[in-house]
Amino acid sequence: MADIKIQDLSYYYPDTIKPALNRINLDIFEGQFVLIVGNSGSGKSTLLRTISGLAPGFYNGTLQGKISLDGKEIAQMSHHQLVQEVGIVFQNPESQLVMMNVEQEIAFGLENLGLPDKLMKRRVMEMSSSLGLSPHLDSNVAELSGGQKQKVALAGVLAMHPGVLLLDEPTSQLDPVAAEELLNIIRRLNEDNGTTIIMIEQRLERCCHLADRILVMDNGGISADLKAGNRSSGIWMQKAPVSYLPPLPRLFARAGFKDLPLTVKQGRQFINSYIPETRGQNSFNSALDPVAISEIDSRENLVDIQNLWFTYPNTGEALKNVNLKIREGDFIAVLGENGAGKTTLLKNINGLLKPNRGSIKVAGKDTRELPIEDMARSVAYLSQDPNDYLFMPSVREEIQFTMKNLDLSEDGYGDEIINRFNLEPYSQCNPRDLSTGERQRVALATVLVSKPRLLLLDEPTRGFDYQLKEELGKLLLEINRQGTAVMMVTHDVDFAAEYARDICLMFDGGIIEQGSKYDVLQHSTFYSPQIAKLFNDIVDDVITVNEGVKALLGLTTSIKSKEIVTAL
Amino acid sequence: MLTYNSKDNLIFKLHPFTQMTFIGIVFILALVFSHPIYLLVLLMSVWVVIAAAGNLAEWKGYMKFSIVMVLFIVAINTLFARAGTTIIYRGPEIPLIGSLEISLEAIAYGLGMSVRLLVIISIFCLYTYAVNPDKALRLFSKMGGKSVLAITLSVRLFPLMMKDFQRISGIQRCRGVKLATGSWWERARNSIPIISIMLLSCMERSLQLAESMYARGYGSGPRSCYEKDLWRPRDYIILILTTIAMAVGIWSAVKGWSAFSYYPVLEQVDPLELIGAAITALALLVPAILNWGWMKWPILKSRI
Repeated sequence: MADIKIQDLSYYYPDTIKPALNRINLDIFEGQFVLIVGNSGSGKSTLLRTISGLAPGFYNGTLQGKISLDGKEIAQMSHHQLVQEVGIVFQNPESQLVMMNVEQEIAFGLENLGLPDKLMKRRVMEMSSSLGLSPHLDSNVAELSGGQKQKVALAGVLAMHPGVLLLDEPTSQLDPVAAEELLNIIRRLNEDNGTTIIMIEQRLERCCHLADRILVMDNGGISADLKAGNRSSGIWMQKAPVSYLPPLPRLFARAGFKDLPLTVKQGRQFINSYIPETRGQNSFNSALDPVAISEIDSRENLVDIQNLWFTYPNTGEALKNVNLKIREGDFIAVLGENGAGKTTLLKNINGLLKPNRGSIKVAGKDTRELPIEDMARSVAYLSQDPNDYLFMPSVREEIQFTMKNLDLSEDGYGDEIINRFNLEPYSQCNPRDLSTGERQRVALATVLVSKPRLLLLDEPTRGFDYQLKEELGKLLLEINRQGTAVMMVTHDVDFAAEYARDICLMFDGGIIEQGSKYDVLQHSTFYSPQIAKLFNDIVDDVITVNEGVKALLGLTTSIKSKEIVTAL
Repeated sequence: MLTYNSKDNLIFKLHPFTQMTFIGIVFILALVFSHPIYLLVLLMSVWVVIAAAGNLAEWKGYMKFSIVMVLFIVAINTLFARAGTTIIYRGPEIPLIGSLEISLEAIAYGLGMSVRLLVIISIFCLYTYAVNPDKALRLFSKMGGKSVLAITLSVRLFPLMMKDFQRISGIQRCRGVKLATGSWWERARNSIPIISIMLLSCMERSLQLAESMYARGYGSGPRSCYEKDLWRPRDYIILILTTIAMAVGIWSAVKGWSAFSYYPVLEQVDPLELIGAAITALALLVPAILNWGWMKWPILKSRI
């Protein structure tokens, strides 16, 4: 357990002139839970690296200023001492596990410390029981799920008994359920053991109620230091930049409220205190008018899936009797838990997998008869990791590569798409040097250059902050408006609610519900966006942020006018 | 790596050191012995142990392709060896080879060498199917530091890379890269993007791994070793007896009993000289005998 004192800290990565951290002064007290937010490139990860001694210890570079732990400067501490004081867990579980076996992995750090066998056994036992890893001790790391792998990584660090735990976006690669579990473990560590926690996290709605303090970083410095005070109150948020707020408080902020609720419960208390008598009476998007319905029916079927069954040779049935139509102009989000068959469905549509039984027709042709390369012209596919696309030395060449593969003529569309995706400034840059959001835009451009009729996306918002998500959402809406049907698989219910038009819920290899997002998402308990939960039974058909703001404004103005009437 | 499948029998429940010692000793003896009976006895012991381990089906698969090699060795040796004197067939002149002479000694020599090959293939089969690769590596990690860690890492990353390869090929095919059609050369050329992406990703991943290792104190001082595997009486019994097998084998070799001269005439076999083979075989059969007892009497299971 330790107090951290940072004085005048600046840090330069090797061969750079611009400091990654610029004159930071910060005191973090023992047992604090500190959350760091900020754009990519703002220096969040670098700050954690300097506190853990990785910069300059691992990265070299130049460090100016002082960081001390309990009055002892870390520059004076040996590598051996420092790793016992400060532990760090990274974003991607795949690239921080060293050993093949879970037990060995937890013991890896302890072996490095040269601890005696008896003590190591005890620490491994304690860590595995407290993190629920005991049943997996003998398992091969490769067999674990992403969430379990991240727990193993955490156990490996915690076994070394650090007083300070640093976490660099530990949940960004996990599905919501696994993320929640990991955050609970971290909260327990902080509350039960008093471990000091400094965590970088993009999705504040998951964790801002855990933190004592939120640091906003910008351009290598700390631009706001917000004390949460009482954890359940959201007083700190009034001072935070709106773009860092979670969707719920942001909605209230945009509607001009001063008090910002943090949870759906608080938000509903707020609303109910305004309008106890208007329950269930308001509605925004009244049922689709008959004209719109006939319009839907006349649209052409792009994809027609009938009685689709798919079985993986080793793991069994992944899709069971799926029926689905994708029409021109559709924007569908596919939701469902891990292993529900979402990705398998996408891969069947783009031809990477061929149906075992039943049929998929894309633009009238059976996918079994179409080579995947031919389908690539009409169906574009964007996977989770944009890095899987990028290898050319420049953005422009990356886009030209697709055009050459598909024998597309150079009609200037490549340049047009570069402009449309705001990639012009980087067209000569190496795509791998760009930020996450930019890389994804490049990958998207490389698949959209063939002017496909359907765009498939797999988990496009993984690891994104609110701003990046909004940019992506707007881009997808624009692509959709210009005539490309969009179907995306996601765990992000709020994102799906905001941008998609239809929702498809999958469970255990089948589609269990499908329809307009207003029908599917509104009254669900789990698959319902925060905004819908907020207005459930108070105002109908409110799902997106804009509808929420309108609803809030509508309610408050109606109250005000009523107040005026009663006053008269 | 991916072939290991844990089974519930004594062979699988041995300490990796015991397993590796057994395998190592059989391998060394296979090289030391040249007497066909000594080699046959060795083959028989390994066969019984493989059967006890429940890997006979896999072993048969190995044997099927080995038989082809055996036939090949015997044929080549028969055609080219000229040292034998008991000619059983004399054929016409053949260009390059000369006159075709097939001698009994040459056939015997080919067969003898084939038995040695079969022992080595069988013991390799036992290693592949019955030894947990994790445990084997752990055993070596006590001996060598960095090089073993490098092997561990690459073994860990291998399945990841296979997954990467499949995923990236799929993605690039959706982008129009032709991997399934075209000539061999075109496909090879078209897989360049996939290889480049894998290389780039691997480099990024190894940097992150190195960072994580540094953050957990790797290289900060002398390491200790986490002991996971336990020693049981069965390990001591088998270790002692395999060591005896080794000693007797070496002693027989020193005495010249386990050697055999094929040429110019096959040596006479002295039954006394076969004592070494009998003792070796008995000692090497102990794991199979113990396993049999282990299965039959639960009391033995708890005792050893």
